[in-house]
Amino acid sequence: MADIAADIPVPRASFVARHRRALLGLLAVVVFLAAWQAAFLVVPFNPLFITKPSLMLAGLLDMLATGELVDALGASAIPFVLGLAAAAVIGVAVGIVMGWRMRVGYALDPLLTVFYASPLVALAPLVVVFFGVGTGAKTMIVFLLAVFPFIFNAFAGTRAVDRLLIDVVRSLGGAEKDLYVKVIIPSVLPYIVAAARIAVGRALIGVLVGEFFAASEGIGYAIARFGDLFALDRMFACILVIMAIAVALTEGIRWAERAAFPWRIGQ
Amino acid sequence: MSDIEALDSGIAAADRADAAPARGLWRRYEPAILGTGSIVLLLAAWEALPRLVTLSAGTKLFFTTPSRVVGTLWDMFATGEIWPPLGVSAGAFALGLGIAIVVALPLGVLLGRSATLSALLDPFITAFNATPRLVFLPLVMLWFGLGLWSKVVIVFIGALFPLLINTYEGVRNADRLLINVVRSFGADEWAIARLVILPNALPYIVVGLRLAIGRAILGVVVAEFFGSAEGLGVVMVRAASSYHVDVVFAGLIVFAALSLVMTAMVKLVEDRLQRWRPQHANG
Repeated sequence: MADIAADIPVPRASFVARHRRALLGLLAVVVFLAAWQAAFLVVPFNPLFITKPSLMLAGLLDMLATGELVDALGASAIPFVLGLAAAAVIGVAVGIVMGWRMRVGYALDPLLTVFYASPLVALAPLVVVFFGVGTGAKTMIVFLLAVFPFIFNAFAGTRAVDRLLIDVVRSLGGAEKDLYVKVIIPSVLPYIVAAARIAVGRALIGVLVGEFFAASEGIGYAIARFGDLFALDRMFACILVIMAIAVALTEGIRWAERAAFPWRIGQ
Repeated sequence: MSDIEALDSGIAAADRADAAPARGLWRRYEPAILGTGSIVLLLAAWEALPRLVTLSAGTKLFFTTPSRVVGTLWDMFATGEIWPPLGVSAGAFALGLGIAIVVALPLGVLLGRSATLSALLDPFITAFNATPRLVFLPLVMLWFGLGLWSKVVIVFIGALFPLLINTYEGVRNADRLLINVVRSFGADEWAIARLVILPNALPYIVVGLRLAIGRAILGVVVAEFFGSAEGLGVVMVRAASSYHVDVVFAGLIVFAALSLVMTAMVKLVEDRLQRWRPQHANG
């Protein structure tokens, strides 16, 4: 079979044809940056209002060289990771119990829906009043924003567990623990990874809200401060870094979803 | 299959109700009773807390109870002081969402019809959709000032992407066969859009609208928190910094209620339109 296939010369699409989409996208980005840079040959350049890609790059390299950028990212990363981890652990636990114990689900679903629908960012001033300025308040805001996707997806995932598999485990003498380990967790996992993708975006919002509102360090604080100082090259560089991180995180999880649960594509 | 099961359980429930009315009633309304019960319980515990435990003077300063929040909310409506800031916020919301709709729908249809165009814009859409728009807030404030237009821009950026991505998905998923049939009967691109693509994309667009409303309200809140001269969010921030916590919660309730009501209205339209559609641009 393989031999025959090797004998027949398969007309292979050219490199360009195979990667057409990606190449076109790359082209658009390059053209956009070039046009941005070139526009100021015609339009007068006002550094208090706009920046150029070349200045942006210089600002980025400068912040990397002084270690400013790494420090700011580090200060933001700690509350991001702590809040997200706490949200994942608590959210998944609550969601699974809600899905598995019908009464708990009935009791908590409306309450949590109200919380999820309300703009929780509005609680940021209160969180700052309670927890002070710094990592504690930021972690709390991240947790508040990121916990709900985990709860609702774990809830939905648990309810979608195949009853038949549960009956099989039960009739073969499995204990309550076996139900969780062998049936529920494996089938809930794809839902949780999808929740993680949504939660990462909300957690980023949480970090930024915390840092815009009350902070003395971190990437969000850096953006706000460079804005106040009219240092637009550095401000744009920081914005670009956040965009890169956001894309890397969400697309990374999306890729992991496709690799780990290929049967869920399109859901 | 699932319909039959639902029917069976309905009949079974009715049987039980005949046999033991009290138990049947409890069973039928159990989700509603437990659901409201937990909310009532939480509110009652919150209300009772300061009466059971003596709070320190410091904690009292930023502690409030549901009754006081409701009282404040009532006062705000009774004196009419809520209307001017709420009007400012609503104006920014409506304008931003409106512009987002006007831009997103035609652009989404274009992207869905042209593979080249969608490939060209894909990196930009992916990047802007993944990035929290909050990051642009200091820049937007620098460009547009503290007035209405900063808010409109933030609302617009937030609402644009769910609408754009859902319109695009809806257009792209249009049945090729139907398009070919209409085309072989001599329809031009405009007629194809009207007859096949729009009806197919409509449920997707409505889902996009629902997500966009949530994001737009969040955008108003965030923009008013960090750089604005007036609006309900500004009222809330001022109240928080002068320890009027009840006003903060009252504002939160107003925003949440608006968000829930508008989302529920769109959801009604959505359920009418279609029942089978998956969600896109989630979150």
